[in-house]
Amino acid sequence: MKNSFVELNARQRAFALVDAGTGRELVGALDYMISPHLMPQGIVPESDDGVVLVKGKVADKNVVIISIEGKFQGGGIGEVSGAKIVAALEQALHDNENGIEVYPVIILDTGGVRLQEANYGLLSISEIHNMVVALKKYVPVIGLVPGKVGSFGGMSITAAILSYLITTNRARVALNGPEVIEQEAGVREFDSSDKDLIWNTLGTQQRVQTGIADEIVADDVTALKDALTAAILEKKEAHRTEKVDFFLSLLDKVDFSKPLNPQEYRKLYRENVAQPHQIAEARSTDQAGTPSRGRAWFEALTGIKNAQTNVSTVLDATVDGKTYIAIVPDANNNLFPRVKNGEVGLKEGFAVAAVVNRVVAEDADKAEKRPIVLVVDVPSQAYGYKEELMGIHIALASSAAAYAKARQAGHPVISFIPGDAVSGGFLAHGLQSNRMIALADESITIQAMSKASAARITQRTIAELEEATKHVPAMAYDIFNYQKLGALYKLVEGIASNDPSPANVAQIEKLIDEAITSAQDDRTLHFRYENPVAKASGRKATLAMRQAVADQW
Amino acid sequence: MEKLTFEFKNSQKVTKAVHVGVVASGDLEVLVYPTDKQVTSLEITTGSDGFKEVWGNVLQRFFDRYPLLADFKINDFGATPGVVNLRLTQAMEALKDEE
Amino acid sequence: MTEVKSWTTRRDAKRERLAHAGSLLDGKFAQTEDVVALLEHLIKPGDKVVLEGDNQKQASFLSQALVRVDQARVHDLHMIMSSVSRPEHLDLFEKGIAKKLDFSFAGPQSTRISQMISDHKLEVGDIHTYLELFARLFIDLIPNVVLVAADKVDRDGNLYTGFNTEETPTIVEAAAFKDGIVIVQANEIVDKVPRVDIPADWVDVVIPADEPYQLEALFTRDPQNITELQILMGMMAIRGIYEKHNVQSVNHGIGFNTAAIELLLPTYGEKLGLKGKIVPNWELNPTPTLIPAIESGWVKSIHSFGGEVGMEKYIAARPDVFFVGPDGTMRSNRALGQVAGQYAVDMFIGSTLQIDQFGNSSTVTSGRLSGFGGAPNMGSNPTGRRHSTPAWQSLRPAGDPLGKGQKLVVQMVETFGANKKPVFVDHLDAEEVQKEAGLANVPVMIYSEDTTHIVTEEGIAYLYKTDSMAERKAAIEAIAGVTPMGLRSNAQQLADLRARGIVALPEDLGVKRGQAKRSLLAAQSLQDIVEWSKGLYNPPAKFRSWS
Repeated sequence: MKNSFVELNARQRAFALVDAGTGRELVGALDYMISPHLMPQGIVPESDDGVVLVKGKVADKNVVIISIEGKFQGGGIGEVSGAKIVAALEQALHDNENGIEVYPVIILDTGGVRLQEANYGLLSISEIHNMVVALKKYVPVIGLVPGKVGSFGGMSITAAILSYLITTNRARVALNGPEVIEQEAGVREFDSSDKDLIWNTLGTQQRVQTGIADEIVADDVTALKDALTAAILEKKEAHRTEKVDFFLSLLDKVDFSKPLNPQEYRKLYRENVAQPHQIAEARSTDQAGTPSRGRAWFEALTGIKNAQTNVSTVLDATVDGKTYIAIVPDANNNLFPRVKNGEVGLKEGFAVAAVVNRVVAEDADKAEKRPIVLVVDVPSQAYGYKEELMGIHIALASSAAAYAKARQAGHPVISFIPGDAVSGGFLAHGLQSNRMIALADESITIQAMSKASAARITQRTIAELEEATKHVPAMAYDIFNYQKLGALYKLVEGIASNDPSPANVAQIEKLIDEAITSAQDDRTLHFRYENPVAKASGRKATLAMRQAVADQW
Repeated sequence: MEKLTFEFKNSQKVTKAVHVGVVASGDLEVLVYPTDKQVTSLEITTGSDGFKEVWGNVLQRFFDRYPLLADFKINDFGATPGVVNLRLTQAMEALKDEE
Repeated sequence: MTEVKSWTTRRDAKRERLAHAGSLLDGKFAQTEDVVALLEHLIKPGDKVVLEGDNQKQASFLSQALVRVDQARVHDLHMIMSSVSRPEHLDLFEKGIAKKLDFSFAGPQSTRISQMISDHKLEVGDIHTYLELFARLFIDLIPNVVLVAADKVDRDGNLYTGFNTEETPTIVEAAAFKDGIVIVQANEIVDKVPRVDIPADWVDVVIPADEPYQLEALFTRDPQNITELQILMGMMAIRGIYEKHNVQSVNHGIGFNTAAIELLLPTYGEKLGLKGKIVPNWELNPTPTLIPAIESGWVKSIHSFGGEVGMEKYIAARPDVFFVGPDGTMRSNRALGQVAGQYAVDMFIGSTLQIDQFGNSSTVTSGRLSGFGGAPNMGSNPTGRRHSTPAWQSLRPAGDPLGKGQKLVVQMVETFGANKKPVFVDHLDAEEVQKEAGLANVPVMIYSEDTTHIVTEEGIAYLYKTDSMAERKAAIEAIAGVTPMGLRSNAQQLADLRARGIVALPEDLGVKRGQAKRSLLAAQSLQDIVEWSKGLYNPPAKFRSWS
């Protein structure tokens, strides 16, 4: 009889993968480092906050297994569990940098951000992305998605960035779950009660055929361990986020106004050939684009009126030695009906990645790397059936990874936030910067999930949700509460988000330059932990966990 | 959610710390720590309110049989008394294994 | 001279009604769109009407039509239904089309039916077991019209009812031989039926349905939801009952408790060396969780009350085990299944929602009149039984020269339900429901006198060994955990009951609590069961959890 891996809990899974007798748990249950955010919201915590770290050996190689408990709060990532993952990855990076080879392995069984501490979840996940990108210079970072939860939300973006994904057929991988898409786009877009449709679209049998997962093995401990061993010994790497031309070429072939079923998409994917795609620099035109805060500030900062590139929703321009990038709405976006209001969709993720990759390539041989300034006004990711079928999380991962690489290569990456910064959109375009400047404007929403979806998933009314979140920075929706996390470099008072007047622009430019100077010798995201607000309150639990992991490593 | 505390006068000193269980739906985790105190103390966080008496009865029965002197932490996500008893018994067995 | 008495009034009336509906009929066949008019022609006010519907199969096309008839023409019907399952079943009473109801089971509509009875919106004749209701169709509830469902009907009117034959032949027989009118909704009209389950002679009217009859996969339990406590109880039951009493034939009530036992036989049972020694013969709906035991050679025969969605191909490929026609498809029969389950099996084992201090149990809880179905037939000792088996004899009381054996009736429950309410209560909610609904009897599912064993996560109470009600109560309390009833038991009582073999704890049975792990199940997911079935089992989409 088979020895099911899916049946095991997170701790058993971690120990099942390492060679017998070699496993040692770090910051385990008995250390009792729980989330400080759950009990105040009436949620029972877990002693390990749902993440288990085990150092050990696989085929004589050093590994650290990071195992997420899917049964606790749906495997959601909060501050403590997120910090645990990031700290373990960072220790592994440190070892690898010092010539000690350590292979990180992440067992993904997670719905993504833990909604009760959504802001921390989103920050942590971006920090995980950063670490994985850094580690991949030394060793592959292998992912296991055994099920039953699978890998969703921001952690699907992680799944895309990982070197190689081993799955069973009990798992699904997607950015947005069917319930969320039904909530945001209607039952006709995705019927969340149709289980066959769900499994045929998001299940791993489809995913391995379309580049979203790399391998399916039987739900058996030995089978998973064998696959992991092979992945480590052969240093398997799927280069999933480096296929921008391939996916942009594929997008050229898909008609988003027509239905597309999983079988048809497999065929398109199989037959697709990558053609080079260049995203042009923005230039002035006679035709005003769909107005938005992001567009207004992009045009004001770059001096380009009615800016357009060859992608209607992505603007980029290099002015005074800085490359500005914005994702903007296009109300007449007939090619992508689910991307009209500034959402980050397939095209946007890949196009931004193309721009950033170009900038990095152009500066590859230069000692001084060009600053990249993100103008952030992203209401969300795109919610659509075809988006999920094609793997929108790869698009978002491609841009997130591109920004992370740019920063790690020495480009200052600065975010200026004059608009919304929500969810997967923010992970793709914003959270990889190590200095974030936001306007102190009540109209700005920062969050991991729209209120409607968050209310539905947590079974509360929107009114209840708003009341519950008003005084909890961990899941607030406004920029003022967000600042309390210590995530911002500057919160700028006195400038309205819809007012890019010359004086305001001059002030913002000055702050951007200061941020660039401040980030000059910093290729990490440590600023978020090390500023006074973070230390005093915003990231206290994060810092405690980082210390604990370092001590026990 | 409700926080409950209990104390019991037990005699069998526990020498090692153990952990069993997962805070999954209908389940719980039990952590047992050695103590220098003369009483067994329990800190329980439960997702089901209004069951203090039932908890007291489950614990009384368990400790009547296994009078473990230790500090307990329990995080419960709606487990039935039967499941609570099972996890307590498993914690007890884990203590035995390690001795 | 006296007037010559007619002895053919029913026959004449039937002929007249069919003639009246003649314009709607081509031989026996009517058009789908004429269904309401047809029923208005064939059914008269006050008729006794059987509407087929049990917990699996529903004559849903005909029930949806009946609720649309003109109430001025058709009213005050006396409905006879195994199961009140669909909303329109009760709409009939709201609209005045029907007035009186005799039934067995009302699971999905239990709250509404309870309310309607207290509001006097329907008059209940009585609540029955399935077998009782079938029996009365031949005595004092002889139908004027029966409305039934068939899979396929040929041009002559022969019916194929296939896997889900269930109670169709019994209902049809009651009408066909007593000049009632038999109206059949058909999923499909074909030139030749795979086999004749009901001959055309018995059928008066056939009408193609707009869509196939409703069929619920009611007996599918996904192993991924089986808990460690259910496994622990299953292990205790196998050791302390199946093995101890040498049980050869069994009916399993539906639930995760019994599903756990089914999945423990090929693993735990095998380790105990019980294969080939216990439970070769079953009266049971084709539950997917029995597949591993069948494939491992535990099971010789299974007779079924009904079919189960997704099991069709598997059953067809295992005719040595299941009852399968020469055409290669299964046949079920609810009436014969109930008879077999009552008289021919050693043991019934099932679950319940409440057990009182005396050992009476019921699934009726406050505000919900769910009725009985078949459980009281399965869960009772048939005093008319005369044949003997080792298990039956093992319960024979000592010292009575005229004594005889007894059927094993086992209730298996966790002491607290998932809602954390105690299952063991001093008084059943059913006592209140009796008062609210004005029933003649308390709707007890299984009486104390019939209950021979109770299994909980604490242990097994061997109630058949008790000599007095006081002892019986003490035995129940000893395994009732920390429910208020269980708290009445003390250590000394428990020790005494254990010493006398009236109560057994896991350790008395050689069952280790630590072994009660899900890895002990022969299948941990429906996908595993698909594998066990070699791809022949095809679970319905709603159970899908893999790609």
